[in-house]
Amino acid sequence: MLGFVIRRILGLIPTLLVIVVASFLVVRLAPGSPFSSERGIPPEVLVELNAKYGFDLPLHEQLLRYLGGLLHGDLGLSTKYPQRSVNEIIGLGFPATLQLTAVALSWALAIGIIAGVMGAVRQNTAWDHGLMTFAMLGISVPSFVLGPLLVLIFALTVYALPPGGWGGLRHLVLPGITLGSYYAAYIARLTRAGMLEVVHADYIRMARAKGLSETMIVWRHMLRGGLTPVVTFLGPAVANMLVLSVVVEKIFATPGIGPYFVDAAFNRDYFLVMGIVVLYSVVLLLMNLVVDVMYGLLDPRIRYE
Amino acid sequence: MRLTPLLLAGLSVVSCTRGGNGYYGATQPKHGADEAWSNLASEPETIDPGKAAEQVGGTLAINLFAGLTQAHPLTLDPIPDIAERWDISDDGLHYTFHLRESSWSDGVPLTAADFEYTWRRVLDPKTGSRYASFLYGLKHGELFNRKALVIRGLGSASEAELRALIEPLAPLDVLRLDPALDAAFVIVKGDDETRPKLRQKLLSELRERAWQGRVLRAAEMDGSELGVRARDDRTLVVELEAPLPYFLHITKYYTALPVPRHVLQRLEREGKNTELWTRPENIVSNGAYVLAEARFRQFMRLEKNPRYWDAEHVRLQRLRLLLIENYNTVLNMYEAGELDTIGPSTNLPSEFLDLLRTQKDFVSGPYMNVYFYWVNTKVPPVNDPRVRTALSLAIDRKSLVTHVMRAGQIPTADIVPDGLGGYKGLNSPSFDPERARALLREAGYGPDHPVPPVTLRYNTSESHKQVAEAVQAMWRKHLGIQAEIENQEWKVYLKTLETKDFQLGRYGWIGDYPDPFTFLELFTTHNGNNKSNWSNSEYDELLRLANLQRDPARRLSQLREAEQIFARELPVIPIYVYTRSELVKPYLRGHAVNYECRYLYKYWWIDERWYSSQPADTLPHGFPPLPAASTGGAN
Repeated sequence: MLGFVIRRILGLIPTLLVIVVASFLVVRLAPGSPFSSERGIPPEVLVELNAKYGFDLPLHEQLLRYLGGLLHGDLGLSTKYPQRSVNEIIGLGFPATLQLTAVALSWALAIGIIAGVMGAVRQNTAWDHGLMTFAMLGISVPSFVLGPLLVLIFALTVYALPPGGWGGLRHLVLPGITLGSYYAAYIARLTRAGMLEVVHADYIRMARAKGLSETMIVWRHMLRGGLTPVVTFLGPAVANMLVLSVVVEKIFATPGIGPYFVDAAFNRDYFLVMGIVVLYSVVLLLMNLVVDVMYGLLDPRIRYE
Repeated sequence: MRLTPLLLAGLSVVSCTRGGNGYYGATQPKHGADEAWSNLASEPETIDPGKAAEQVGGTLAINLFAGLTQAHPLTLDPIPDIAERWDISDDGLHYTFHLRESSWSDGVPLTAADFEYTWRRVLDPKTGSRYASFLYGLKHGELFNRKALVIRGLGSASEAELRALIEPLAPLDVLRLDPALDAAFVIVKGDDETRPKLRQKLLSELRERAWQGRVLRAAEMDGSELGVRARDDRTLVVELEAPLPYFLHITKYYTALPVPRHVLQRLEREGKNTELWTRPENIVSNGAYVLAEARFRQFMRLEKNPRYWDAEHVRLQRLRLLLIENYNTVLNMYEAGELDTIGPSTNLPSEFLDLLRTQKDFVSGPYMNVYFYWVNTKVPPVNDPRVRTALSLAIDRKSLVTHVMRAGQIPTADIVPDGLGGYKGLNSPSFDPERARALLREAGYGPDHPVPPVTLRYNTSESHKQVAEAVQAMWRKHLGIQAEIENQEWKVYLKTLETKDFQLGRYGWIGDYPDPFTFLELFTTHNGNNKSNWSNSEYDELLRLANLQRDPARRLSQLREAEQIFARELPVIPIYVYTRSELVKPYLRGHAVNYECRYLYKYWWIDERWYSSQPADTLPHGFPPLPAASTGGAN
């Protein structure tokens, strides 16, 4: 198992390299410079700024420099915020995004799995239909609708929670639910489908034959089988929540890294764009690895060689 | 995402109906009598006054640092700040500032040498100050910023002789002789890559060169040649390149505010990154407030600076400035009473304004920012001034502003807003389709020879799109001209303008100081921000002469003459003057609504009994006395 993980991690390196090189070049293809603005910059000031960031070097040298920096964990300097390195910006924003993701994920898993199990156990009853309709709604209602609705109800009508900003758990509730609901709905449907797939499996029949209680069968055996598609979904889902929570982070003004994915590109903040791409790639690749490991825990038939 | 404003506008209808006392949301201060919360909308790129180049950083800088002069909160006229008084020489070239006794927030005395250091730092190209050109008015300022070489030991050599010596070595952009310094200044010509090499070559050739029986010594400028010098601790002597009637406005602009030399030099000595001097743990300032805490992309916390020279008149102990970009979140927080004002940088979409305008805490006023379309005057058919004028006259600005923009913008066909710095605007006719058609006929266009289609570009934004579509329809209706409209993402668009790859293109220009010159200089031949390819020597000369004029009234009439040339030629098509719309809680007093949307926290105070008192009666320390007629209003 450990050998498998190490081999997989080593295997990620070439993938990551391809991503970094490709995005480094693509980012530079976009017209415009990080320093352009309404008011022109004096020519020699521009020369100095370009030199500070190494933009005066040939592109391949810049790439090599960037890769060299990456080896040391140095993601470069931000052009938009000249006093900050990309490491610092991500270091400041990522904890907030992590907290937000943790709340969203807990919400998504709790609601999703309970609803999915209930739907599967009471298949084709009013319960099932009701829950799945609700889940369909959850998938269809975009976060920029759900977010303001929640704010209207909980922050501006009952004044129970802050409409935005950052501070404590109170500030996490509304954005967490907004971010997590889509995933909750998806998880509910996947859980239900996954459980229905194993409901007639031999090992469930075996469990029944052994006389296990229904609760035991559902929560221990069926759920375990039913969760496989959920786990497959969760890998990229967590990565998305971590990095692509742009809309939710904008609506609630949380200080996470979500907004950078778009803003940094608009600002031509080359190294910040790259930093986010690298972070996203690493998170996504690692999450896929975690998913593979989880398969083994959920399904005893899978062996790591 | 397009849905959001509509939907949110709908939600706001619901929330507006609550309360019912005519104010938008809570009307009691939530943060006590000593503290106010405002919003800056985004993380400042930097709060280093010398490097800031956007409104957020600038707003922080003017509240943290005190310059030689400061703006009157209502009129924006320069009034004394660190400089108690000043003398101006008769030729308008020499300024002597007499500084009051004051100190930095760490107790270190503030001296004239701090200003000398600061201005040299801004102009030093190595600093990377994007607004360095603000100080180009200083003697040799532009030369220093453009890395001119200084050649000494000229004796009586003439410019022609010197030119003959240098031109074979490197192409010349600027050669300026300064007999007083016995020196010549040279800027080489070339693009960003060749220029440094050519400069290096010229430097090594002339570093020590025997020539005509003399020895020439070339060197890089070190800033000692600049027209700023501390005569003693409390006297700053400034020499200008040419008279600048608005120079006292420049000294209050954030780029010219002092930076703590002792802190920067300490960091340098300790081998630390001097960029970090603006961090709360390092920063030292001399203005009404000091930066106590800075949470990246969350908030800035300012504390009153007890060492500010005028601290006794500063009322709020603390300010929290949030950095929330989403206007909807800002409105929600304002409604909930978390924010006491929505701040200077939150732009409310027109869908909201119809609702908010009816609230008693809604304030709005004109903003020194003109919305216009650049015309590329080298490209047919718009290379013909008659076509440009026809396009301008076919835009029904009034209807555009009333039905499309709906925020009270002021329709205008002029580039200088009426009344700016006492200027009498041209008030050119803005809508006359009849005359527009006549002009096109005059230019040789008619039914069998229609005007070829034109392309109008703008940077991606919902409101620019609305304006462009309306203008497109008006041109089609009134002139039969087909216009294609194309949007581009901001940075791409800037590149488009820079490379002059456009016919017509949207732009806005925010004036830097309340004087017509701030708009008119944009269209001079050598202005780097002039995208129109338009050049008119008569216009350039009038502007130059106007600044030599010592009589303010005659100067304004000369500027007006220049604008008349502009109006005949129209290198841009002006559309409207922007307005700023804000929400300010009724208990927040001392907030001035002015032409620059300049937020001056030091006048703010919280009136917990606002509903039972009139602000005028309860202001022991209000705004400074008005130097001239007021143009703004106070809340």
